[in-house]
Amino acid sequence: MQDEPSLSVMKPEHPPKHRKRIWRPRLLILLIPPIIWLSVFLFIPYVTLFINSFWKVDFGTIVHDFSFDNYKKFFTNPLYYGTFLKTLRIAAWVTFFSILLSYPLAYFIHFKIKKNKQLFYTLVIIPLWVSYLVRAYAWKIVLGQDGILNNFLLAIGIIHKPVEIFLYSPYAVILALTHIYTPWVLMSIYTSLEHIPRDVLEASKDLGAGRFRTFFHIVIPLSLPGVIAGATFAFVLTMGDFLAPQLLGGTSSMMVSNVVYSLFGVANNWPLGSTIGIVTLVVVLGILQLTHRLEKRTASFEDGTRGR
Amino acid sequence: MNTRSMKMIVLALLVSAFVALSACGSKSQSPGSSNAGAAGKSVSGGKTLNLLTWEGYADPKFVKGFEDKFGVKVTATYFGSSDELVAKLKGGGGNVFDIISPSSDVAAYLIKEGLVAPVNLEHIPNYANLASKLKDMVDVKKDGKVYGIPFTWGPDSLIYDADVIKTPPDSWNVFWDPQYKGKVSIWDDISNIYLIGQMMGLDQSDQSKVYNMTEDQLQQAKTKLVELKPQIRKYWASAGELNDLFSNKEVVLAVGWPLTPTTVNATGRHLKETIPKEGITGWIDRLMIVNSSSNKDLAETYINYVIEESVMKLVSDATGYGVANINAVKHMSPEQAKAIHIDDMDNYMKKINFWQEVKDRNRYNEIWNEVKAQ
Repeated sequence: MQDEPSLSVMKPEHPPKHRKRIWRPRLLILLIPPIIWLSVFLFIPYVTLFINSFWKVDFGTIVHDFSFDNYKKFFTNPLYYGTFLKTLRIAAWVTFFSILLSYPLAYFIHFKIKKNKQLFYTLVIIPLWVSYLVRAYAWKIVLGQDGILNNFLLAIGIIHKPVEIFLYSPYAVILALTHIYTPWVLMSIYTSLEHIPRDVLEASKDLGAGRFRTFFHIVIPLSLPGVIAGATFAFVLTMGDFLAPQLLGGTSSMMVSNVVYSLFGVANNWPLGSTIGIVTLVVVLGILQLTHRLEKRTASFEDGTRGR
Repeated sequence: MNTRSMKMIVLALLVSAFVALSACGSKSQSPGSSNAGAAGKSVSGGKTLNLLTWEGYADPKFVKGFEDKFGVKVTATYFGSSDELVAKLKGGGGNVFDIISPSSDVAAYLIKEGLVAPVNLEHIPNYANLASKLKDMVDVKKDGKVYGIPFTWGPDSLIYDADVIKTPPDSWNVFWDPQYKGKVSIWDDISNIYLIGQMMGLDQSDQSKVYNMTEDQLQQAKTKLVELKPQIRKYWASAGELNDLFSNKEVVLAVGWPLTPTTVNATGRHLKETIPKEGITGWIDRLMIVNSSSNKDLAETYINYVIEESVMKLVSDATGYGVANINAVKHMSPEQAKAIHIDDMDNYMKKINFWQEVKDRNRYNEIWNEVKAQ
């Protein structure tokens, strides 16, 4: 039964035939599992969250009493909107540093390395195979007062007593998150660099453009979609992070997910937690929509070259 | 391009969902040796008893004996604060756990909410040997039935590193001493507000005052706690985390439980605990049986086992806490009896303001979150 559709995928040289088959009921059957998956794990939870955000809590019990109080509270109490803004700020820093690190690296691996390109690429990606928790804990060992970094700086005499600011501070959070999301950003930038046709670069040089001019006028604009996609990854994933501030953050590094965690897991105030969840979701969807448009606009050239 | 971006978005959503799920999973499971998810099913033919307790209350030192004797498996999930316990029970964990160990601040609330079941004392003969001071407390009794069996008690004392601080601090004010900037750790919990209440002298006449502070007093407490922030290295979320902070020499002063000196001093360090002049708060932990548990008989058997005098000695070995069975002193060295104050229980307990129910717990939690968000 399933052979036929998969066979048709193998023959891209007959696009019209292929398009017709998509609406065969047999193929629709194949779509049922993902539809169930999406509705059970994505759609229903979001709807529940949305409904929950209008109730309120009385002595730890949810009261089904419709009101906008939770939203009012979110936008008037600095605990909630302030933490949210701080989270956006941290996410922006993480995104900035991730791009700053990945772009030169991706450029280097793609254009400068001739042999073992795949090996270098894999080396950058390997951290993704290590558990998030292990990587976060590793930073504790590196940054602690009795840690590797402090001991090294003490040994070479740059500092005379251990620096406290390394660990349990917003810097530690930004550092760890940058470390964790850089591979994602790199993958995305690398892919977009790979898509730049070499002959475009040669043409640029033939027409007399120097190395820098080629880079700024050809490479950067053409790789922009990858940068935007990578930035979206880093930004959105950072916004939802709560482990890094919990493990490495200091007394003022609480991020919005920590507030949500505390509302769900400690204060037992699900409605207010849901409200923050919904606001975050709306903002994230807005960001995704925005970056999607940006990507589309910057990718016009790539679309044009696809037919070649 | 369109489909690629859509794919990216879906991938991003899935990835974030995955990250969140795996994060949650590892978080709730990392402290315990076993997981709660697989709990409820019988393991290797025998039954499984699921505990939801404070850290250290399922130590193999005393749990192993029960497992061997009755051929059952005991699994434990730890909670880091009273609020977390309530949230876990109310958030659908009610039918997973059999026994919980709430402290005196939420015990009455759990009974009122019908989350725990009365205990049949006929099945718990060892109850007779528990300290009457603990048994006499009325907050775990309702309609002549007993809902909570006293297990352990202890202080939230001032813990300091005696290698660094030579003279024992006599006031909580030492936390605000610029000399120890960035060297202090307090618990990530509303109990810090009780502490400030004690510093304000609220409990001089009536102990319950610190648990029912007015909005004005709460704002004062908030100001004081915000002033403390530059001094704080880290708010500890679990006893294990505080142990690490002391072990790695990140902090020299903290609010904590006797479990910390007991554990850290075993590695050759010199942590000491003291009662500052403003007083300290403390807790009495009872074992309770979850109402929806399907293992109530086994749970009663476990409770009877764990409050038996020789087992209580092992509990004290593992935790360093005061135990409810006064006969346990027969199995202890004089030093240990002195360390957990069981030799002079009545007198020592007078110095402690034991946690009571906080009527407006939500407001306390909100104030504490506001301090953290500053």
